[in-house]
Amino acid sequence: MIQFSQVTKRYPGGHEALANVDLAIDKGELVFLTGHSGAGKSTLLKLIAAIERPTSGMLTVNGQNVGRLPYRAVPYLRRNIGLVFQDHKLLFDRNVIENVVLPLDIVGLDRRESFKRARAVLDKVGLLKREKANPISLSGGEQQRLCIARALVSRPALLLADEPTGNLDAGYAADIMAMFRDFHQVGTTLVIATHDDRALTALGGRILRLDHGHVGETAI
Amino acid sequence: MRTWLRHQRAAFRSALARLATQPLASMLTALAMGVAISLPAGLYLALGNFAQLAGEMPAQPEISLYLAADATPAQESALATRLKQPDVAHARRVDKDEALAALSSAQDLTDVTAGLPGNPLPDAWIVQPRDTSRAGLTQLAQALGARPGVAEVHIDSQWAERLAAALAIGHTGVWLLAALFAVALVAISGNAIRAQVLARRDEIQVSRLIGATDRHIRRPFLFVGTLQGLLGGAVALGVLAASGALLQGPVTHLANLYGSAYQLAPPTLAELAVVLGLPALFGWLGAWLSVTRALGQVEAGH
Repeated sequence: MIQFSQVTKRYPGGHEALANVDLAIDKGELVFLTGHSGAGKSTLLKLIAAIERPTSGMLTVNGQNVGRLPYRAVPYLRRNIGLVFQDHKLLFDRNVIENVVLPLDIVGLDRRESFKRARAVLDKVGLLKREKANPISLSGGEQQRLCIARALVSRPALLLADEPTGNLDAGYAADIMAMFRDFHQVGTTLVIATHDDRALTALGGRILRLDHGHVGETAI
Repeated sequence: MRTWLRHQRAAFRSALARLATQPLASMLTALAMGVAISLPAGLYLALGNFAQLAGEMPAQPEISLYLAADATPAQESALATRLKQPDVAHARRVDKDEALAALSSAQDLTDVTAGLPGNPLPDAWIVQPRDTSRAGLTQLAQALGARPGVAEVHIDSQWAERLAAALAIGHTGVWLLAALFAVALVAISGNAIRAQVLARRDEIQVSRLIGATDRHIRRPFLFVGTLQGLLGGAVALGVLAASGALLQGPVTHLANLYGSAYQLAPPTLAELAVVLGLPALFGWLGAWLSVTRALGQVEAGH
């Protein structure tokens, strides 16, 4: 599903975030990216979602060459990818369910159908009772769950999560990770960047360790 | 198609909500646009009224021939024969006594004319040429003026032509002004939309990350620009209606002094549509320019 071959990403100013990365992720895999901060975890995720473009090398996602993807095609690539951010990126000028419905609005789905789907996914992350609340009134863990609900509502085949438990205490973090395991079990491909080793051991899955832009595989 | 309609409807509703959440800013922008439109539109209407006033004057140009006091009967009959030729549509002789009588009754000058020792007016012909173009008119006037026994030739349409020329300058001026104010409209709208785009930076960034196309992001802003333009047009209509109402009294009074029943002509439906439609168009344009530029900046800001 995702194929890196000899991918290098150098930021303006010369910092090399990824160096000659070769990597293949299959459909349905659960992959953890670990490593110290600045090792290139976020950059790798950003490349997959075409938020950044590779400096050299070839990256294909779903058979599309992301490095060469025309600007106009990027939104359509992203519609197949659910993104979970460490800082949630929620919109505080609308309530919980309106946040979840956003990706479906973009696709132009019928509003009634959108709300039905949004409620289903809110139920899954345990926020159904808060659908009318403003996200600012939610706790950190709830906000992260809301972000996950928004990423999942359009039923993407691929979910990318950047430090999803970074700001959460252990109890919440375990909740979130358990949720990810459930999605993995129903066939979603997940790539999760985390420096949280508690999660790795608990969930199993493939672990990729990044070190100064180089990728190494770690057996469990 | 249904998806497209759904997108338009959602964008329209979102635009209305955006306008409603900032009523003061929306009002001020609409006011600025309305004032900017009402100036050229008002001038245009005023010119239209002048033109109409001018149009009430005899449109058919006439040539007045004044005979010399010492013209011989032979010269006069030769002239009468000449005026029966096909390049003259109609010719009427005005006797000097008849002219004096008409003058004293029409202009209420009986006291003045009665005091005159003799009749100072010449005999005259009022000639309507068949060819009413400017060149044809001048040619005929010159030909007739050169004849013996003719003291003076006068083309009566001259003042009307001068007025028409002045009005043409006025019209050009109105268009120039309108073009300038159209640029102002685009700038006003663009500026208002730019502020909104900056206020919605987060939303734009998030929408982008979850797969919104630029078109999708731009759409509500375009509706806001268009609606704001329409509001501006409505303000302009209000300004024009109020000015019309204020001017109606003085204009009627002035017309009465000239013995005319002239009234201000209201704008036509088409003109009203233009006053509403053009600002909407320029509001849209300003929004488009502004959002497209801002989108580039948000992209770079990743």
